[in-house]
Amino acid sequence: MSAFYPFIVIGLFTGSVYGLAAMGVVLTYKTVGVFNLAYGAVAMFCAYTYWELHDHWGITAWLAMPILFLVVAPILGLILEGLYRPLAGLSAEVLIVVSLGILAALGALVPIIYGSQDRQLQAIFPTKTFVLGSHLHVGYDQMGTLVVSLSMAALLWALLRHTKFGTSTRAVVDNPDLADMIGVHGDNVRRAAWILSTFFAALVGIMISPRQGLDIYQLVLVVIYCFAPAVLGRLVSLPLAYIGGLILGIIGSILSKYSNSGTVANLEAAFPYLSLFVLLVVLGPRLKEVGTATRRLAVAAVAAPGKKKSGASATLFAIGQGRWRVGVDRNLTLGLVGFVLAILVPLAVPGPRLLIIIGGVIYALIALTLVVLTGWAGQISLAQFSFVGVGAFTAGHLAGSHGQHFLFAVLIGMLLSAPLAVVVGLASLRLSGLYLALATLAFALVMDTIVFNRTDVSGGLTGISVPRPQIFGISFTGRIALYELVVVIFGLIAVAAYALRAGPMGRRLHILRDSPLAASTLGVNLTVTKLVVFTACAMVAALGGSFYGAWTQAITPLDFMWTASLELLLLVVLGGRAVISGAIIAGSVVATQALPFIPVEVNKILALTIALGVIGLAQEPEGTARMTARQTMHVLAVMKPLPKRYRNTLGLPAPSGAVPDPPVDRRVPAPAGSGEGVSSHVA
Amino acid sequence: MSPDPLAPDPVLSAEDVSVKFGGLSALANVSLQVPSGRIVALIGPNGAGKTTMFNVLTGLQETTTGRVRFNGADISGWPTYRRGRAGIARTFQRLALFTRLSVSDNLVASWESSHRGGVFGRGRSLRQERVHQVMELLNLWPIADRLAGELSTGQGRMVELGRALCTDPHVLLLDEPGSGLDVKETAAFCDVLRTVVRGPSAPAVLLVEHDMTLVMEVCSALTVLDFGKVIACGSPEEIRNDELVRAAYLGDVSVA
Ligand SMILES: Nc1ncnc2c1ncn2[C@@H]1O[C@H](COP(=O)(O)OP(=O)(O)OP(=O)(O)O)[C@@H](O)[C@H]1O
Ligand SMILES: [Mg+2]
Repeated sequence: MSAFYPFIVIGLFTGSVYGLAAMGVVLTYKTVGVFNLAYGAVAMFCAYTYWELHDHWGITAWLAMPILFLVVAPILGLILEGLYRPLAGLSAEVLIVVSLGILAALGALVPIIYGSQDRQLQAIFPTKTFVLGSHLHVGYDQMGTLVVSLSMAALLWALLRHTKFGTSTRAVVDNPDLADMIGVHGDNVRRAAWILSTFFAALVGIMISPRQGLDIYQLVLVVIYCFAPAVLGRLVSLPLAYIGGLILGIIGSILSKYSNSGTVANLEAAFPYLSLFVLLVVLGPRLKEVGTATRRLAVAAVAAPGKKKSGASATLFAIGQGRWRVGVDRNLTLGLVGFVLAILVPLAVPGPRLLIIIGGVIYALIALTLVVLTGWAGQISLAQFSFVGVGAFTAGHLAGSHGQHFLFAVLIGMLLSAPLAVVVGLASLRLSGLYLALATLAFALVMDTIVFNRTDVSGGLTGISVPRPQIFGISFTGRIALYELVVVIFGLIAVAAYALRAGPMGRRLHILRDSPLAASTLGVNLTVTKLVVFTACAMVAALGGSFYGAWTQAITPLDFMWTASLELLLLVVLGGRAVISGAIIAGSVVATQALPFIPVEVNKILALTIALGVIGLAQEPEGTARMTARQTMHVLAVMKPLPKRYRNTLGLPAPSGAVPDPPVDRRVPAPAGSGEGVSSHVA
Repeated sequence: MSPDPLAPDPVLSAEDVSVKFGGLSALANVSLQVPSGRIVALIGPNGAGKTTMFNVLTGLQETTTGRVRFNGADISGWPTYRRGRAGIARTFQRLALFTRLSVSDNLVASWESSHRGGVFGRGRSLRQERVHQVMELLNLWPIADRLAGELSTGQGRMVELGRALCTDPHVLLLDEPGSGLDVKETAAFCDVLRTVVRGPSAPAVLLVEHDMTLVMEVCSALTVLDFGKVIACGSPEEIRNDELVRAAYLGDVSVA
């Protein structure tokens, strides 16, 4: 036991920071119902701000600290509160998307404001060491961290136990509507929770950064460590979250004792994510979504007015004939025209830029798998690029160094991704919404650390190379040939997805998402359905991965990190997660780098724009695709008046002065003043 | 107090079912029977365990003791979807419609889910016919194209009933179909219910309902739960005159 003693002590030091972060995350989840996936980004932003104030401008710590904790953190907290307030009661999916958008926005803001080089933050405590017990060297900074963390935890506890804030918080957590009625100012409580939580994030940021180094994604990653302890506290217990943080720190530290050999080192790195995944799956059904009370009212408010259309014209023929909404994808002709135009692109862009566009097409293919999985079946995945990686590395090894046929390599890549998809699919049987998102995030990180990190798999940071395909005697080494090949593949899979969407299988995905419980009582085998969906999407992602490898010809683990999956989700949300056109838009955004007028420096701005766009569009399943369709129709409408039914379907404003047709089945005359209303059901 | 000896064989029955949530005993050794071709009711005050019983019957809730039988076979170990396909259909107390599908597609999805090969698009004409029938029966044509999420509670309950009927059930479990309905809608619902149980292949019905007039009017037998225990069961006559029931449940509600 005594051999472990130093590791336990060291573990306490790191664990105390995790505990602090875990409490910060739990605090907003339990009071506001928001699990802030961007918590690490907030910490990172605060750390950079402190660096700017203290290390860069040379402001003394005695002034820089108060500025950070009393000005910057509260303002940031209030901004976050403001961002989330209008979202109260919306689905877990929307909240997750928004928090990821915030993560990306902060990640894009930092290089814009503070520059993108790595920084070294000066330690806030002296780094000298003293000897504890007989021979354990302990840094003053570690001791300081532990003391600060413990006293903050105690302070928060006292605040919640012994002040009016505490009782008000409990009232709000218990029943927000009732709390409002008995005079607890819910908004103030929520603001306070956000401010406190951000305050903790700032603390975590400046305490971790001196040792970790200031780096945008590193800190975000470290804070993901704390998700496991937060889940251990079932996301509602502050003490359990803190203790969980300590335990995690200690276990990590003990593992590091053995981490000289490669495999164990990987295991140590993966431990926080593995434990997050396992905890989620084990606790699964017992994890409750918080904030349902808030949810109810808000949902009622959203769903109330029956903005209606179309009359009793349903014919027997129409039933089950895909007459229901396939959204802006409805226009098959447009799709066909688009396809033909896409085929002809090399005529217009023959040069090296075509290569970037090929990347865009492959990206669209990968994005399409997320549209099906998340947009249609309602299963949030933050691990799609892990499957892409499996496909790419398999292609590299088999078609490359082993000289196998490219198609054979593609097939094996797809087959290898299947069992991994089953793991995620099985997790999805016990988890949904936020918890599924966290589990897939953990899965991606586990894949990063224990699979893609292995040099025998990925060739390490130098990566491995993938050859261009040679199929049926045709060589796809050339740009144009490769381009046409991937466009055709995308076209085929998009058509398959479209057909699936409009038929019984599409309905099944729909009902899986709308009410899995009801679906199962009708006879839907949820296990089989979910596994099939996850596996099919993963296999197509792996297919995309093989071609991704063939396209870049050199792949490294960095290409398939969790951040890539996150980016994919953001781009798909931006494009429109419920429509095939959304995937195409996602691919187009990636391909914009081919545009001559977008220089590299603009990328930062582009990233910020995308992040903000995602936050704005979180509630719009058809994303920019819908806006694009609407704009197109506007332009067309100017040129030629459309038949009325199209106008209304796309939510066009009625021509001025005209009153929209009342719905066919409406017996009561429309009330006066409803004339300016536009009947805009979601097409 | 004893079940009607003349009742036909039960199509669905629970034997000695117990369910515990932590320390709370939601059901304690409850038995009940649904004879084929009849409408029977499960009543009791709020929190008595009625919905929990439905969850047990449909396999959504694990039990600590007891068995569920369906057409004589022990189906206690069956997963929910298998019971659905076998012919146990239910509605939900809190509406669980497929909100983003149209009303007609709700029914179609139900047919496809419960019939072999439905998800591969087989048996289209059978499907059309059945869906058509149900739409006709429940008078759903006027709202066939509406999104289920946009409906009023009354319409929503009709659609849930229709969705359950599209599975061609042997037994139909209705969880408070009358709650949230106005007087007119309730009357209409009563009529529909009577039509549903008519005919040779009509399902048996187990009804959970707080509206006593409705229950007494349509049911041939009742089981009364209180705090997870059966406190009475028998014909409407017997229940009406049962002292325990009056005390525990009906209170001062006049049911004479
Ligand atoms: N998942 C659950 N976890 C814990 N307790 C539960 C759960 N579901 C139900 N209960 C409890 O079990 C008891 C029975 O609940 P149930 O919903 O079956 O009652 P009910 O008879 O349907 O009432 P109502 O008329 O209000 O619908 C209640 O006390 C309820 O709080
Ligand atoms: Mg109930």
